[in-house]
Amino acid sequence: MTIETPEFQGTHLWNRLHWAKDNLDGVQTDYRVVWEDPEEPDAPAKVTVPDPNWLACALQGGILPPVEVYWALAEDEAKPDFKKHTRGYLLHNTKPVDKMTEEQAIEYLIMKDIPQRVWRNYEKANRKRLVICKKQNLPSHRTWRNAWKINQEVA
Amino acid sequence: MSTLVINTIQGKTTAGSVNVRGEGSNNTNLQQGLCKQWCDWDTSGTIAIRDSFNTSSVVDHASGYSKNLYTNNFSTQNYVGSGSATGLNYGSPAVMSNARATKLTSEVLIRHFHGTSNGVVNPDDVMFTQHGDLA
Repeated sequence: MTIETPEFQGTHLWNRLHWAKDNLDGVQTDYRVVWEDPEEPDAPAKVTVPDPNWLACALQGGILPPVEVYWALAEDEAKPDFKKHTRGYLLHNTKPVDKMTEEQAIEYLIMKDIPQRVWRNYEKANRKRLVICKKQNLPSHRTWRNAWKINQEVA
Repeated sequence: MSTLVINTIQGKTTAGSVNVRGEGSNNTNLQQGLCKQWCDWDTSGTIAIRDSFNTSSVVDHASGYSKNLYTNNFSTQNYVGSGSATGLNYGSPAVMSNARATKLTSEVLIRHFHGTSNGVVNPDDVMFTQHGDLA
């Protein structure tokens, strides 16, 4: 049975998450995002896993703010005199995004939770530094975890 | 005995501030005492999240390091996290926030390490909670 999302624009995002936790089942995904940070060339590849409750919100629609809101807050925080967010209302008052497919949600999450320097100009980079894959494509053991790099031939 | 059946408690003077009478004459502020983000995840193989609240993703950052990212940012970088971990062969593993310089209102880098040797470990059950003011 599908449940209809209440009109949430203007409702604190925190309260929307409470509603989602009460009304939506978490969605486990097999997708993983493997990425390398160009500012840390010697660091191992990192692996991002979407949260199941967050993914449920993305698939439901009408809960999460547009990703540009997070960029605006990150810009504020990057200023040298940053002390406290003064535009937190953007999270709560901006019209929430419509429901997404699982693939669209992964793209949104990349733009939200992975530094822009990793995925901006992705096509122009001389080295592949981000791959979306299934968890079955990753090593199941961590023996050489700190040596993980993106295989450029696969990417 | 009375049962209170309500959906919302709101402060009268300040909507977002409700005091609960504590021991003696002190008051405990309800909002300040609430956990604002939590996560339970597995770092032992391919990273996976069991359950959470106010978490958008977890990053397997390196051996012994994970990152939690939030759906609703904190308002400042002055929030507080604490955690624990369980797992065989990790010598009562411990969990702590990494250096302050790696902390943002949107994310925290977390280190999980062996309880006696202090070396990094990847337990199958890492748990972290955070308190503070939300944006």
